Amino acid sequence: MLISWEWLSDYVKLDLPTDQVVDRWAMSGLNHESTQWVEGVPVIDLEVTSNRADCLGHIGIAREAAVLYDIALTIPNPNLKTSSRSVHDVLTVENRFEQACPRYTARVIQGVKIGPSPEWLAKRLRAIGVRPNNNVVDATNYVMMECGQPLHAFDLAKVKSNKIIVRAAVDRENFQAIDHRSYVLDSQMVVIADAQRPLALGGVMGGLDSEVSDSTVDLLIESACFLPMAIRRTARKLKLHSPSSHRFERRIDPNGLDWASMRCCQLILELAGGELLDGLIDTHGEPTVAGPIQLRRHRVAQVLGIEVPWDRCGQILTKLGCKVDSQSDCMTVEAPSFRQDLTREADLIEEIARIHGYQKIPENASVPMVASSRRPKDTMMHSVRAIACGAGFNETLNPSLIGKSVLDRISPWGSQDPLTTWVPLLEGASCLRRSLIPSLIAARLHNQAQSNRDVRLFETANVYLPQGDRLPKEQFHLGCISESDPRVIRGVFEEIVQRVWGPEGPELQERLIDFDFSEKGSTVAWFYQDQMLAWVGSLSRAVATSSKIDGSVAIGELDLDLLLVWARSVPKLKALSPYPAMLRDLNFVVDEGLYWSALRATISDAAGPLCKEIAFQEIYRDTKRDGAGKKRVLLTLTLQSDSETLKSDQAEALVGSVIAACQSKHGATLLA
Amino acid sequence: MALDQFLTTLDGLLEDAHSSLERVGTAEALEEFRVKYTGAKSGALKSVQKMLGSIDVKDKPAAGKRFNQVRDRIEELIAQAALRLGGESAPKSSGPLLDPTLPGLRPRIGTVHPITQTLEHLKEIMGRLGFNVTEGPEIEDQWHNFVALNIPEDHPARDPLDNFYLATAKSLSPPSTGSGEAPAERLLRSQTSTVQIRVMEKEALPLRIISLGRVYRPDAPDATHFPMFHQMEGLWVDRNVTMAQLKSVLRLFATSYLGGDVNIRFRPSFFPFTEPSVEVDYWWNGQWIEFGGAGMVDPNVFQAVGIDPEAWSGFAFGLGVERLCMRRFGITDIRDLYRSDVRFLRQFAT
Repeated sequence: MLISWEWLSDYVKLDLPTDQVVDRWAMSGLNHESTQWVEGVPVIDLEVTSNRADCLGHIGIAREAAVLYDIALTIPNPNLKTSSRSVHDVLTVENRFEQACPRYTARVIQGVKIGPSPEWLAKRLRAIGVRPNNNVVDATNYVMMECGQPLHAFDLAKVKSNKIIVRAAVDRENFQAIDHRSYVLDSQMVVIADAQRPLALGGVMGGLDSEVSDSTVDLLIESACFLPMAIRRTARKLKLHSPSSHRFERRIDPNGLDWASMRCCQLILELAGGELLDGLIDTHGEPTVAGPIQLRRHRVAQVLGIEVPWDRCGQILTKLGCKVDSQSDCMTVEAPSFRQDLTREADLIEEIARIHGYQKIPENASVPMVASSRRPKDTMMHSVRAIACGAGFNETLNPSLIGKSVLDRISPWGSQDPLTTWVPLLEGASCLRRSLIPSLIAARLHNQAQSNRDVRLFETANVYLPQGDRLPKEQFHLGCISESDPRVIRGVFEEIVQRVWGPEGPELQERLIDFDFSEKGSTVAWFYQDQMLAWVGSLSRAVATSSKIDGSVAIGELDLDLLLVWARSVPKLKALSPYPAMLRDLNFVVDEGLYWSALRATISDAAGPLCKEIAFQEIYRDTKRDGAGKKRVLLTLTLQSDSETLKSDQAEALVGSVIAACQSKHGATLLA
Repeated sequence: MALDQFLTTLDGLLEDAHSSLERVGTAEALEEFRVKYTGAKSGALKSVQKMLGSIDVKDKPAAGKRFNQVRDRIEELIAQAALRLGGESAPKSSGPLLDPTLPGLRPRIGTVHPITQTLEHLKEIMGRLGFNVTEGPEIEDQWHNFVALNIPEDHPARDPLDNFYLATAKSLSPPSTGSGEAPAERLLRSQTSTVQIRVMEKEALPLRIISLGRVYRPDAPDATHFPMFHQMEGLWVDRNVTMAQLKSVLRLFATSYLGGDVNIRFRPSFFPFTEPSVEVDYWWNGQWIEFGGAGMVDPNVFQAVGIDPEAWSGFAFGLGVERLCMRRFGITDIRDLYRSDVRFLRQFAT
């Protein structure tokens, strides 16, 4: 809201530097945007919050200053001479759309002489960025900028049959506005029409063919109340925003219509002459009355934490325009109709606080101490990030929505189509991601374009899995991508599961899995019962090529929600055995297709509780000696008893049973 | 034996060792030298050590001390010579030797995203102030994102163009303002205040919580705007919570975060879910810096979740995490946070 300092002085006498007043305004709710000098006058731009429609005119701003500095506020009192002829003789108004326009008033002035406005008025309008037009249009704009009530002047000669109809527009009805553009309306918009055509788009803009021109002689002055929803919708839909729609969207003073109308007529009579017809056409004569609000004395301190003297409370509210009936413990307050935001006790306490001054509220009040505790999820996430970083992965964050491409079809966690938003988050990105992998591949591509080498990235974020008609499932995931051997990601996941769950975690089933985006036969997934916990693999060459990725792409994803279910809170110590451990290296020749997990399980079963650890060492292939389709697995067993020193024949017996089990179950042969 | 004589013998031995070691050019010669001087049975040192027995008692400490020094020195000289000569016969070292000409083998350690670092920092500080961490869904219904937060249907914040509403099979066009459609449409939450509602609906009072997470608002991306960002929201509901306590908690928070004594300023503002509502600034490095929005929980919000506003009061505050993070790390373009460029990410090694 632009305010002319010179104009403001009509209502309050502020013998203070503008900077000082601007600071006070900022501290009481009107943020200072800027101050500029226009034609030698300071013009101040103030940010008005959407609840303060009363401050969308100079009088409202002046009132704030008057309250803050406790000085007098002078509001013009339009006193008009009217002719003996009644407005009802020349005009009727029918309101068929009270849902959008609860009140419509009209006055008529006959015999005006259109011409330019005097310089004092033109200058004031120029100062606040309104282009002067002619004395009548300028008068309507001037009064809007004075009190916040939008007004419109019609050339009465253009109103057919001397009748105004406030109605809903007809679907696809055409309307030409004074901006010389044509708009197609719909049935939720309100038009001010005569019997034949719309003359104005109610609350938004006047029409081209009923606007006041040099040849206009008789005027209809409209002062009406349009409801915020209707105006906002219209302005949005037509992308037509005006100072008028801006004010109606914020709810104007329903009881201020008549004052604005009279004030406007007074100006027109002064500037353009003519004669005001007697009376006012008003489709809804009843003034709006808000109920009284009770303000209890103890509540002020209870909310603010400081005492505000009771008479000071009353004084502030009175000065703001309220009717106050103050008792010792309670006040009955009637808010003025231009403050429709004041309906409850809390609203009044806010008024008292902002005028009394928030700087009076201390910042060293006592705050009782209470305990808070870290969530298991935060503990888990600490481990997850530490392990990923320890393996050289950089954390990244990516937008939750992705575009449609070959990548958005990567959906290892469900096959339902992704949820989409009407408005894309970023250009083309309107699909809520069902996996973190597409974003990570895009991130990899970005780095490739920057020639960044050896990129290892991880992200932890929600994915959004559609559930038919029900609320989508938001599942918290870890996603990894790297250029290295996929075993690195697998190792990261194994380490995470082991650390977060500890040795007591539930058993997982390992399975080869086929995704249409990953290399066949080399993607592994882990399941807890039927629920997939994680998968790791390589992006298929076909997808990599079509997304123009160079190099190898190892990818994997882990469901952190499921991981959390079994997270242990604290590691529990297992007593150390005081007896020495024996290490035994075993070198097996096995089939190429044998899984380590299967071999490990066999060894574990055969060796029993004396086997404390089964450590994979390495794999080696010697097809000349072992034949095709064979590999050698070197592993180390740690054997130890908690109750005695193991004798070597005990150890040999254990190893013997391990070898036998591996041979019978997997056809493994031991290399000497 | 006199002390003087003993010391002279020792010095002579050390001198001999020095000069003959210089002539030692092979590992074999070094081994010969080692046996000659430090051999356990008849090494030169051993012979000198035997003389210690005939030293006067009062001189023994001095003699012994000097003997040890000479012995240590000779052993050190042998070790140095062994290093110089290398080869198999050098005494075994404890592992690979450091090549002083090469740089260290540095582990490759990843980095945590600056936004995550900021979120963790915020959780830590608020945890010390007694606030527990909570979270809620990012896809919300109208009730939690608007209605319960006292944002009525005609409020501009609910405009379809200002929110990311989900497209559904049933509605083929975005919901329109004031169309009177049932408020069943789901959307990406536009604020973390939604979590306040969810927590107040089911948790027992009193409450001290924060919620952190992603929020979504259609803003054209530029250096300071991104349509997805993070918020932290705080809520304290108890019997007699006041605005003075709000100001005090925020000052404690800012002082903790910035590490110095910080002042707080309230400017009146307007949010549907708080009354009174304020913008919060903090005074830091000689200027007022915008912190976020705050206020006392609006009675309508309490009523929406079935809490008696006469019996309970509370405050809430919210702030943008990106702004704090960018200021802390010197980031000037918010879009850099979401580009995944490793040259950017690797800089936040802490």
